[in-house]
Amino acid sequence: MTLRLVQLHKRFGKTDVLDGVDLVVEPNEIHAVIGVSGSGKSTLLRIISGLTAADRGDVYWRDVPLGNLPAHKRNITILSQSTLLFPHLTAGENVALACPRKNREEAERWLETVHLKDRYDAEVHELSGGEQQRVSLARALAARPEVLLLDEPFTNLDPRLKYELQRFIRDLVKELNLTTILVTHDREEAMLMADRLSLLKDGKVSQTGTTDQLYETSSDFGEFVTVKGRSLPATRVIVNETSGDPVVLKRKLFRFGQLFGEYQDADGTYLILPSLERYEVDETYYIKKKEE
Amino acid sequence: MIRQFFIVCLVLFPFIGLFRASPDFQASSQETMLQTIGLIFVLALVNVWLAFTLAWWLMWTESRLKPWVEWLVFLPLFIPLLASLFGMYLVFAEVGLIGSRIGVGLALLMATLPYSIRLAYNGMYVIGRPMLEQSLGLPPFKRILYVLIPLFSGSIRTIILFTTVILLSQFALVQLIGAGLVSTVTTDFYQTYAGNDRSRALTNTWMLILLPLILYIGLGGLSTWFVRRLKGRLS
Repeated sequence: MTLRLVQLHKRFGKTDVLDGVDLVVEPNEIHAVIGVSGSGKSTLLRIISGLTAADRGDVYWRDVPLGNLPAHKRNITILSQSTLLFPHLTAGENVALACPRKNREEAERWLETVHLKDRYDAEVHELSGGEQQRVSLARALAARPEVLLLDEPFTNLDPRLKYELQRFIRDLVKELNLTTILVTHDREEAMLMADRLSLLKDGKVSQTGTTDQLYETSSDFGEFVTVKGRSLPATRVIVNETSGDPVVLKRKLFRFGQLFGEYQDADGTYLILPSLERYEVDETYYIKKKEE
Repeated sequence: MIRQFFIVCLVLFPFIGLFRASPDFQASSQETMLQTIGLIFVLALVNVWLAFTLAWWLMWTESRLKPWVEWLVFLPLFIPLLASLFGMYLVFAEVGLIGSRIGVGLALLMATLPYSIRLAYNGMYVIGRPMLEQSLGLPPFKRILYVLIPLFSGSIRTIILFTTVILLSQFALVQLIGAGLVSTVTTDFYQTYAGNDRSRALTNTWMLILLPLILYIGLGGLSTWFVRRLKGRLS
């Protein structure tokens, strides 16, 4: 059940967008591929989903090469940043169309999964951006894919909704045991959602590892600060107010990636909180100062 | 407002004369009428099929030949029809297609296809590649029936109408390739325009106007009915 990319090459004009990409995505893991704009992240997903052909190399699913298998036979769906619901169909009909039996009950179940059960008959233009994205997710899942590809699906959403959907999608794909690839240029998003990360640079995967491994060892992922002579990842550090000793946030809290953004000041550097005890995390994972 | 009024008058001016005499709706040659309708049907169908097939290829291909194919396909749009018509005449004469229905049909297809491809391609361009890509995850039959036909219904309707109007406007082409042996309502009606029977000519003119108009309204109704049926199957 492993998804393997072997020596994928893709050239557009004179540019080698992908220049021998090798990647292994383990079953049921969320694997984030990070890279700057134009690094070939989306092209990579398009090749996996069968929308674009690779010049060389192949994608293997369960050790079977997908080759030129058309998109509809791959059992892989893609959720992109634009919602792209079919405008002549209602929200529910968009989902029902993706269901293998085009069944209203099944579509309603998927809409319920994304908390939109009563929106079956809503026209696409009546839905808000967040609702459209959730319908798109329901449509992607209704096809019962084995692999879900997320192509920067949170880009056009406001921060609060983005955080909510990130957590929601993460929990849902874990519950459904889907093998998922998320491409994003947002390290925080990748840290929040993924089990493992890969950095796409110059058409190749330059680093791969778990979020912890990469965050603590790679300057491409972590922001480092020096506290009492020790170089530590800034967004994971708090300093004890009394002793001044650095304390590294525990993994559980670290998962709340939203905290990162809240640490940033106007200069773009990270603030080091004096003491975690003085702060609390609300239900939407926003960090705020405890009322004395 | 005056400018808009002027433009509307300019567009409608050719039709003013049609209301100055009363038409006499006596049926013209039934055989010619049926032949024309048959020709419209086949031509529209082939046009839609070929135009969307090529436009789809142009939309997705990464071939280096794409700019050349585009250029060649759209080239006839910039060449007067009479020039390409004479080219067809010379070739058809050699292969024995002059005076045949197939010859006339082929010539009309060649005259209309570049416009149809342009319309189909523009339709796809407006809907956009990302939206069309969403449909690629569906099996072909489901994709065509539930997504592509409803999304392209406007373009399909325009192609059919455009094909019909071009066909009904072609006198020289049908006469030259058909060699007077193949007639359409246009060639039939043209005789009356050359004569002095105003009432007959007016009747024929109304027929020429009503045929595409009825077709347009009919196709609109058909498209709405079709989408409703599909939506019903998803509910």
